[in-house]
Amino acid sequence: MSRETAGTADDREPGTDPLLRIEDVRKSYGSEEVLRDVSMTVDRGDVEVLVGPSGSGKSTLLQCINRLTEVDSGRIFLEDLEITAPETDPNEVRGRIGMVFQDINLFTHLTARKNVTLGLEKVRGMDREEARLRADEELDRVGLADQADSYPAQLSGGQKQRVGIARALAMDPELMLFDEPTSALDPELSNEVLAVMEQLVEEGMTMVVVTHEMRFARGGATGITFLDEGEIVERGPPETLFENPDHERTARFFESIRHD
Amino acid sequence: MTDRPDLGWLLTIVAAVAFWGWLLSRWATDWLLAPLGIGPGRGENYLSPAPLEDAAGTFEGTAAAVGPLRVRVDPIATVLDGAALAVEVAPVLADGAWHTIVLTAVSLLLGLAIAVPLAVVRVYGGPFAWFALLYTELIRGTPLLAQLFVLYYGLDLAVWLNDVDVVGRGFVPEYAFWIAIIGFTINGSAYQAEYIRGALESVDEGQLTAARAVGLSKSEGIRYVVLPQTLRYAIPAWTNELVYLIKYSSLAGFITVPELYYRASRIASTTLEYTPVFTLLALVYIGLVLTATDAMGRLERRVAVPGLGGGEGRQQARTEGE
Amino acid sequence: MEALLAPVETVAAFPLPELAVAVPSEEAVAEVLGEDWAFVYRNRWHLLGGAAVTVALTATSLLLGFLAGFPAGAIETYGSGYSRSLVRKLGVLLRGTPILVIMIYAFFVLPIGIVVGPVVAVLEGLDSLLAPTPLAVPAVGEAFVAATIALGLRSAAYQSQIFRGALASVGEGQMRAARSVGMSRLGAIRHVIVPQALRRSVPGFQNEFTIVLKDTSIAFAIGLGELLKRSNDLFTQQTTAVLEIILAASLIYFVLTFGTNRGLDYASERYAIPGEGT
Repeated sequence: MSRETAGTADDREPGTDPLLRIEDVRKSYGSEEVLRDVSMTVDRGDVEVLVGPSGSGKSTLLQCINRLTEVDSGRIFLEDLEITAPETDPNEVRGRIGMVFQDINLFTHLTARKNVTLGLEKVRGMDREEARLRADEELDRVGLADQADSYPAQLSGGQKQRVGIARALAMDPELMLFDEPTSALDPELSNEVLAVMEQLVEEGMTMVVVTHEMRFARGGATGITFLDEGEIVERGPPETLFENPDHERTARFFESIRHD
Repeated sequence: MTDRPDLGWLLTIVAAVAFWGWLLSRWATDWLLAPLGIGPGRGENYLSPAPLEDAAGTFEGTAAAVGPLRVRVDPIATVLDGAALAVEVAPVLADGAWHTIVLTAVSLLLGLAIAVPLAVVRVYGGPFAWFALLYTELIRGTPLLAQLFVLYYGLDLAVWLNDVDVVGRGFVPEYAFWIAIIGFTINGSAYQAEYIRGALESVDEGQLTAARAVGLSKSEGIRYVVLPQTLRYAIPAWTNELVYLIKYSSLAGFITVPELYYRASRIASTTLEYTPVFTLLALVYIGLVLTATDAMGRLERRVAVPGLGGGEGRQQARTEGE
Repeated sequence: MEALLAPVETVAAFPLPELAVAVPSEEAVAEVLGEDWAFVYRNRWHLLGGAAVTVALTATSLLLGFLAGFPAGAIETYGSGYSRSLVRKLGVLLRGTPILVIMIYAFFVLPIGIVVGPVVAVLEGLDSLLAPTPLAVPAVGEAFVAATIALGLRSAAYQSQIFRGALASVGEGQMRAARSVGMSRLGAIRHVIVPQALRRSVPGFQNEFTIVLKDTSIAFAIGLGELLKRSNDLFTQQTTAVLEIILAASLIYFVLTFGTNRGLDYASERYAIPGEGT
């Protein structure tokens, strides 16, 4: 099975400009294998959507990409930088890759603006004023210029997540990771977050997105990867996977979420 | 609060003003004015207790003179006697209160300085986690008084401190005071470390993950994201620790530190007036404790993160408990 | 200070049965650990007797604290008007005053003589029933009763807060549900709320237990022959062994607090409601 899927990934139209390469990544927690020989490539400007049932390893894969979780074996590259190499500084990796969380995780003791400036000041070493200007720019980009002085507890869920996106964008990432950014939100609040994400797609941001929002996958994704039980079952352009998947498991999965 | 302009509230204000007015003016008299020759002088009374004693004497003698009703006026005499004693011992108690406050405040802050790294090590591991655990368990498992005895009688700190030239001269207190500070700092650090550990653990794990995702290192994440939240969560516990230290600083009297309790017990054992002296002493302690809880409540509201419902609500819950 | 310590009790060392099995001799201890530890070892029964007084005082104080503190907590939660306000004010007084001051007050100001007589009578009765116990008789006296009253009432003020918190933490819904099946308010409190609240108060109670145990050492101030007082007596006798004696006493305190804490941990796991975390 894994041979075959690895083949699928390689057979894909070779990218002109690969940004992220994942090679044979394995990861287990105790005796439970969460990722089994996962390999894939994401080109610059691509939007790759990861789907699959819960526990299929999508979130773990994202965390491996910016080394919030260490892989057991296999390698991950961002351009020429081997992310997984022990001598690579994880903080450098995380500075080049932005991440947005399912549970948002805004720093609760800081205002929206300070949430954005913290990384700029402490990681990028910007001075306060420069960081403030940059933060206001990013907040404006997600439509929250007027909420810069609000604390997280004073914002709605959708606004919080938009601040989370601004916080990640401020670091000028080459790649953005989204870990189910809307699944903790009410449907009507999801829309404002999805709108910001679609805007990023238009701007040409490279993104790896774990989501169940099939509207986003249809509209913005350049590729869809279906993971199940830690391995890539099938990967291809959205139309193919939605309308005409090669595997039964894929078909059944899309069938099941359509009924949600 | 505003819809309660009642008597109790007014009395509280009056009591607070009287208590702190007394303490502050007393300290000012002793240290600022007395050297200049203004006022009654260091440790001298503002009022003479003599008229009160005279009045008490009058009442004691007049029990029979009130006529056929034969009203007992002895209780009035007792109260007047107590008031006379209060006036007499007030300067000494004010000086004792100064020692109590300094002892408490210095130990609390030094204890905090030790407690923060101790708690961080305990939670975020490292090879010294077991050491932090052992330290806190040993200190919390033995009585404070036994710890003071170890420092005062058991170790040769006294000899060592006596060699330090400045100890016991001018404004620098005697060595017993320094030993008490060491003892309370060590004791307080173990308890504060536990409070802070609890607060650290209550900060959502995602906060540190998010900090690391923007590229902060683990120690930066702890410093800029986790600790600022922790210290806010820890304020209610910190209030308890402050109150604890104010009250248990009385144990320093056992190693001859001239704080409130030591002063009062000396007076009581010479005058044998246990009831009024210890009642007065208890009132001074309660005054200090209530001031401390009120001040910490204000601090908590001041630093509360807007929108995080807790601030006001938790405060309310705690005031009810006092 | 000396004047305060006037009514010191002279506690005779108790003739406890010597164990026949391999007990190291004093000489052996002296050889290995030095003369000062041998002094501690020679006086081990004296110290352990003090520990027994400490344990007994902890027990009586916690009992008094529970008997007064539980109703106080209930009044603070469910009471109204004057009763509630009175209980609260008493609580503020007791929680705002150092235990040392409360203890001195209990000893020198309260007429504890009235209480001591009956207590001694009861204990002597127990003593004659249960054969001579080494714990009761030497310990009971004015100092013991005063210490119990002081530690007990102070503990009541804190226990009331533990119970108040626990009672309040049982959701309103439980009360409504109990009323809906026809229970009276009092019946609901007794059969539904209290059993849940008692379990939830175990952690707080555990903390309170440790505090009371450690604070029994403050009865030193009124001359009660508990562990710390006896250590003090010993090291004034042999001044070279100060550190050894206090460390030995501290070790006993530590074993007592640590041991009971683990015991209570076990108890709370044992009696936890299945599926409900503590």
